[in-house]
Amino acid sequence: MSTTATAPATTFPATPNGPVLRVRGLRKAFKQREVLRGIDWDVPSGRVVGLLGRNGAGKTTLLRCLLGLSPTDAGTVELFGEAMTEPGGERMHRIGFVPQTFDLFPWMKVRAYLDFTAAFYANWNHALAGRLLGDWQLDPKQKIGELSQGQRQKLAIVRAIAPQPDLLVLDEPVASLDPQARRAFMAELLELMKAPGKTVIFSTHITADLERADADIALLRDGAIQFTRPLAELRERLRRAVLARPGGWTQAPALPGVLKATLKGDEAQLLVEDADPEGLQALAAREGATLRIETPTLEDLFVELA
Amino acid sequence: MKALWQLWRLPFRQMAVGAVLLQLAWLAGAVLLGCVPATDASLAGVAAMLFAFGAWFWFTLLGMCLRGLCRPESFLLPGFRQRLARMGALQVAQWVLLPTLAALVLGVPHALLGGAGLLLLAAIGLAASSARYISLVVWGVFMLAGWQPGLAGAAVKVLIASAWAVPLALLLAVLVASLGLRPLLRIEDRETDSSPLENAQLGRARARNLDGTPARRGKLGQRTGAIFDGTSQRAMEQALARYRAKPGWHLRTVLVRRLLLPHDNPQAIALRLLMVAAIVTFYVVAVMHRQRFNAAVVGAYAILLGLARFPQLGRGMRQMRPNLADLYLTLAPPTRTDYQQTLLDALVVLVPITVLSTVAYTGLGIVLTHAAEPARMLLAGAIVSVGASLTALAVHLVGPESGFGRGVVDVVVTVGAMAVYWGGYWLLGALGLTIGGGLLLLVTLGFGLGVWSSARREYLRRPPCFDAPLAG
Repeated sequence: MSTTATAPATTFPATPNGPVLRVRGLRKAFKQREVLRGIDWDVPSGRVVGLLGRNGAGKTTLLRCLLGLSPTDAGTVELFGEAMTEPGGERMHRIGFVPQTFDLFPWMKVRAYLDFTAAFYANWNHALAGRLLGDWQLDPKQKIGELSQGQRQKLAIVRAIAPQPDLLVLDEPVASLDPQARRAFMAELLELMKAPGKTVIFSTHITADLERADADIALLRDGAIQFTRPLAELRERLRRAVLARPGGWTQAPALPGVLKATLKGDEAQLLVEDADPEGLQALAAREGATLRIETPTLEDLFVELA
Repeated sequence: MKALWQLWRLPFRQMAVGAVLLQLAWLAGAVLLGCVPATDASLAGVAAMLFAFGAWFWFTLLGMCLRGLCRPESFLLPGFRQRLARMGALQVAQWVLLPTLAALVLGVPHALLGGAGLLLLAAIGLAASSARYISLVVWGVFMLAGWQPGLAGAAVKVLIASAWAVPLALLLAVLVASLGLRPLLRIEDRETDSSPLENAQLGRARARNLDGTPARRGKLGQRTGAIFDGTSQRAMEQALARYRAKPGWHLRTVLVRRLLLPHDNPQAIALRLLMVAAIVTFYVVAVMHRQRFNAAVVGAYAILLGLARFPQLGRGMRQMRPNLADLYLTLAPPTRTDYQQTLLDALVVLVPITVLSTVAYTGLGIVLTHAAEPARMLLAGAIVSVGASLTALAVHLVGPESGFGRGVVDVVVTVGAMAVYWGGYWLLGALGLTIGGGLLLLVTLGFGLGVWSSARREYLRRPPCFDAPLAG
């Protein structure tokens, strides 16, 4: 099997609201390895953005750099219209963050931890936190260190949601959750999004959750955001054209709008943007191949593009 | 071979300075033993002492490393137990077999008995961290020997002359080693983690392994831990209530302190002092028999005990980095410097706590040893501990990242502070409490404040770091 890839178009849809997050030329390297290579990214207000990328693509690094939790080598980050050169006091309280590894304070009890955190917030929703603790069966008297990984992740989500943040940054928040808890979490997330001006940046590999949230998809690859597009637009504009002929293919057939071409057995699978059915039919006739046009799922797109 | 090499390197990776010093002790013992034919046979006695202390401490260090290594996941490694056994054999060969063989070849008297004794000491050292009751039994033996020195001396003479001494020592070594290894090789649930900044002083020692994972605790340890947890819970609730009623900078600092240093609330400090007092009293009265004590030494020990807190602080601050990201978001500081300042404000309380502990330990020592010049000791201890704790806090906040570098810093600060105590004690004797005390205060506080203010500036200049430490 051979694969060739073409860089996707990077045109962004215009947004009615000003961006919550604006990143320009963000670079970050660990020793010799450059993870982020000049990221330019705008996240509009009031959207759920799913950040997709393979393992090691730099999603966690990017999210930590955005919040000032990891120093950057170059570039600028603006959150809520102000540069992130300093945390900026109360601005941090407009952000909720669920880290990938939940390294909170294992020697503290759940109730003490939430009480401690709540003491610093002006908008802590005690009722919401109490309800979520009950619904998700988290014992307030238990030490955090005694919780399972999934329970810790639930607690991290409660802690992130309870201050009713304007920007929720979630780094693979459902990785350790069972299906019921995942659904419950997504329901809470969608409920939170009903309030005006709420924005979520959501790194995950579970594409079904992004489909449920009707998220905008941002793809991080080769240290850069390759595109940010609404899921509906991706679904509408991207098609997989499968050209099959006996004897297979030595190279992928040329066609405008091809984002990625994969040769597999007798088939040439082309991921095409704004596919022209007539052009595809003509190509199939010219190459002596049969044509099948498929609508890829988000997971298919992730596999193809990431 | 690679696995064996990795296992052998463990002590060097986890406690580099101690491991290097002990290997140097072994080397010195070997050199002295090698010199026996050319010089005096009494050198063999010095070599035996070096090997004996070296083997005891080396195997204690090894036991501490194994305590962290022997977790359930490790037993899934292919041939883990066999490789562990091979590493043990290598260690025994280095510390017991080689010196014994060399002593036999060189015709050193009682070489076999010495070798068996080395093996017994190694076994006791290995068991010290996993089967602590064995250490208590050894203590008990020393205690009895102390009460009846004549009888003990006669028993030792009979043992040395007896043909049964060597097999008896070997049997005991095997028994102690198996008792020490059994809990290490048993698969158990992991203990709940405590704060990495947890006080690891006497009385709350061994809360975590050398690699930072929580240590297994016995029932008594768990009960003690629960009492300390209870105090920290109450202290946090009180701090929260006071902060909610009247939010302000001071109460906010107290709250952060309750989070980071849960067991440094007044109740826990008092409890710790009581526990230390009980242990030290038992140790001095029952084991060391107070008449053998030079009272002035007590102050230096108190300094050592007080400063024992800071190495864990250095390690803990590195371990805590990922946890502190949450605190950073919660505190929402206007600037990064404000955040660093908040941490400094919270941690600086360790200075008065250390001074209080040092003075209390010195006071206890004064009572136990009937010291002739209590005021001189207390004053020297109090003044030196202020400067020493400021210095220790400073170097652990901005000091070296590597485990080896931190180990060197710990040794330098502790030994330096003890030496300054001796110097200060002499100064107070030579110049009197007022002039000597004033001079000592000027020198130690001047040095401590100088180091502290430089370290503070550097710490505030640095951006906060939330990345997990890579190693060491």
